[in-house]
Amino acid sequence: MDGHLMLNALLPDLVVVAGLFLCLGADYILLRGRDVAERHRLISRIASWTLICGLLAGLLGSRDPQLLQLQIGDGQLVITPVRLLFKLTAFLLALVVVELIPTRPATSGHVSEQYALLLLSALGVGFLATSHHLLVSFVALELLSLCLYALTALDMGRRAGAEAALKYFAIGGLSSAFLLVGISYLYGVTGQLNLGKVSAYIHTLQHLPPLLGVAFLFLLVGVGFKLAIVPFHLWAPDVYQNAPTAVAAWIATGSKLGSTVLLLGLMLPGFDAPNAYSPVSRLLSSGLAVLALISMLVGNLGAMRQGNLKRLLAYGGVASAGYLLVGMVAFSDASRVAVLFYVLTYALASMGAFAVVALVSDQLGRDAEIDDFRGCWKSMPGIAALFLIFVLSLASIPPLSGFIGKFGLFFAALQPPPVPEEGFGGWSWLVAVALIMSVVGLYYYLKVLRAFLVTGEPALPPVRVGTNAWVVLVMLAVLVVALGLWPEPLLEWLR
Amino acid sequence: MHALLTLILSFAGALACGLMPAGRARQIRWVALAFASLGLLTALHCALRYGGSGVADEVDWPWIPSLGARLAFGYDGISLPLLLVTGLVAVCGVLFTWELKERANEFYAYYFALVGGVYGVFLSRDLFLLFVFYEIAVVPKYFLIAIWGGTRKDYAAMKLVLYSFAGSALVLLGLLGLYFGANASTFTLQELSQASLSAPLQYVVFPLLFVGFAVLAGMWPFHTWAPTGHVAAPTAASMLLAGVVMKLGAYGCLRVAIGLLPLGAKVWAPWVAALAVVNIVYGALVALRQTDFKFVIGYSSVSHMGFVLLGLATLTQTGLTGAVLQMFSHGVIGALLFALVGAVIYSRTHTRQLEEFHLLIARMPVIAWVFILAGLASMGLPGFSGFAAELHVLMGAWQSPWVSAGLVVLAGAGVVATFGYTLVKIHEAFFRPRVASGSSDKEGLYEPMTAAEIAGCALLLGSSLLVGLFPSLLTDKMQASLKLIVDRLNEAR
Repeated sequence: MDGHLMLNALLPDLVVVAGLFLCLGADYILLRGRDVAERHRLISRIASWTLICGLLAGLLGSRDPQLLQLQIGDGQLVITPVRLLFKLTAFLLALVVVELIPTRPATSGHVSEQYALLLLSALGVGFLATSHHLLVSFVALELLSLCLYALTALDMGRRAGAEAALKYFAIGGLSSAFLLVGISYLYGVTGQLNLGKVSAYIHTLQHLPPLLGVAFLFLLVGVGFKLAIVPFHLWAPDVYQNAPTAVAAWIATGSKLGSTVLLLGLMLPGFDAPNAYSPVSRLLSSGLAVLALISMLVGNLGAMRQGNLKRLLAYGGVASAGYLLVGMVAFSDASRVAVLFYVLTYALASMGAFAVVALVSDQLGRDAEIDDFRGCWKSMPGIAALFLIFVLSLASIPPLSGFIGKFGLFFAALQPPPVPEEGFGGWSWLVAVALIMSVVGLYYYLKVLRAFLVTGEPALPPVRVGTNAWVVLVMLAVLVVALGLWPEPLLEWLR
Repeated sequence: MHALLTLILSFAGALACGLMPAGRARQIRWVALAFASLGLLTALHCALRYGGSGVADEVDWPWIPSLGARLAFGYDGISLPLLLVTGLVAVCGVLFTWELKERANEFYAYYFALVGGVYGVFLSRDLFLLFVFYEIAVVPKYFLIAIWGGTRKDYAAMKLVLYSFAGSALVLLGLLGLYFGANASTFTLQELSQASLSAPLQYVVFPLLFVGFAVLAGMWPFHTWAPTGHVAAPTAASMLLAGVVMKLGAYGCLRVAIGLLPLGAKVWAPWVAALAVVNIVYGALVALRQTDFKFVIGYSSVSHMGFVLLGLATLTQTGLTGAVLQMFSHGVIGALLFALVGAVIYSRTHTRQLEEFHLLIARMPVIAWVFILAGLASMGLPGFSGFAAELHVLMGAWQSPWVSAGLVVLAGAGVVATFGYTLVKIHEAFFRPRVASGSSDKEGLYEPMTAAEIAGCALLLGSSLLVGLFPSLLTDKMQASLKLIVDRLNEAR
């Protein structure tokens, strides 16, 4: 392999690694003994410039056609336009998170550690997005998860944060074990670790060995945890609520992006199947359909009862994972595109909503009860208007991107497969449930918007929002709107 | 291209008003009036230019090829009356909300977002696009009612929005079924209307689409959002709701469900007719029992929408003409009644309870007579648009093989009931001494109508009278477009 080309391909990651050391080094050596606020300011600058440089390196790389179809290490890492896009989106979201990390000195003594862990986990998402190999994916996922456990607990002033982190760590560790056992069973059946080869091998089998079913079950449990799919979602509300909001935002978006790519990779045998009625697609799609159903039900019905905005967003995330699986069950090219598009739009809108929460309630040291945001239209009209955009997109109201995303999922699920003899609309019941649940979704999202935009006197004093925060918020809102009005370029890129 | 201006102006109006500072209520309402009037003028211009057949101002741009969505706009004889009524109601809504001060900038932002969504539905020639606008019209209603509303506004706003959204969920499922069943490559009406759909598919998809849209048209038993929503809404919003938003549902039923699924329509038409008659009679009887003036109008809307649905269920040229005419007519008159009760009378008496009114005919004579005229128009007195519309509907129902004679007789009884409650309520409101004690309706003469109120009343009452005296102004333009649908119905086997 051409070393120069490989260097170019990995340049974004290398930039991030360098930035990571720069953060730590600068903090430990140059800024020792300085004021915490000053350290925050400098280190966050380093972190954001690192990510910007990483993004630029990736964008420059994307102009080289050779880089867009590259396999590194015998197909362990694969770079395609879609994977590169996901990696860079993860960097972009991490950039937003950098702006959201509270700079109040009281939070904790940790300064550079927060940024370093964030950069490291962004690296994990990046590798997850480009990995095509079970072990590399596992390592990337662990890199991401370990950073997230630590970040969740980092606010040492909060007991609840430590508790949530412990819960997250315990369940997360268990799920990693499931994933690893699943991987080893899959290896036992197929003798392969490369996802493409695994899929190819499965399709040479005459009969599916029972162990394969067990392997996929374990793999689904493992990834299901990361994506907060019911019944592996129990950590999500606690972690979202009690982690620092910036970290919760990162868990809800960055981690979701990476895990979705991993799930798509694991489901490759289904996508590669000659038609939707081959045994392996039937096996996988029935499993996914059940998970989709209960995730939508539990997520949406659970969100109705929440009084805390972050918990509500957590349940909303569970529901969105359910919708995602609805799109996936069809195992067509359309469904792959729909899933990728949906998760991107979900991540953008979700990041926006969390960003608003982080800016408003974290700065005031509040716990983000929905009622706290009462009268936001009066004290912070700009923030309230942006929040309206993000939440309506989460509730999939057109013309915002969330609507196009969800419509694409349903479209894919109902699309008749190329072999028509089994009739049309096999998944129409699932789509019908999803549509009913969307109505429930609108109910609780409207309840949130009601606090922001409808009622009474402001509960909180206005918050000063810095220029950088405005820039990232407006950027997210523009993306959310633009991808709704004109989604075709992105859909084309994902195809 | 020209008709698109209505749409663009509305969304521009939403943006312009939303960005103005909240304190400038005076400037904001003039800006709002300007945008609404320009929209009405555009709609009028479209009406004058429309030749009487085919689709005018057609544009068709690619939008999302992979989802089969195109930016296809245009209007025909069916959309035209509805564009007009949207323009009229939008202007009058601003006029009757002239005194609004509280959060005026946000109010008009939501208001014009709703109006824009409505125009969009009537102009869409692509079902995906139609659905997008249909949903754009859902959310602003919530805020209009929840922020500026009255009686039980939280409950009413949430109920209304969830009903609409549940209806649109059915519609979405129906649309996807239609698209995949037709094996289509786009959602454009042009392509879908030429597709051949199997009969079983039509039987299944028709109720999804029809009921989904009919929720918004106030079809019994999915009508309950309408009275509570109308009553809770601020005047301009209840005018839009009764005048225009309910028409969205009826329009969808006609354009999409009946227009594209003729076999399904024929199978289900008798059921629709039965529900429509329930609407007419039930709405009228419930209106008779109401003591809150605004609830009277709310249930009379339900009753009048029954005529629209009955007209649709006839599946004949005459009946469909009546249905579209009734959409226009009720749009104008319903809006006027809500304006009178919710703004003109309420702003003076500060109560809407009929028992508390005291001989209003002597104390606000002009307003009372305007209301009586509007009431007569509403009950279908010859000379007003309601008469022409209901006559067409009932004639169509007699001709129609899908509507049994018994139902027509019942609908006729509904007309009598309409006479009954209108006259009774006019008596109770204006000619009766006070019944309840402790009323907020003070003694003495009330101040006369303001210029804005006069303008609004004249515009709405005048257009009802104009169409009532010369129904051919509208009916001539719709014949060709309706004939296409009726021909499809007759050809379908």
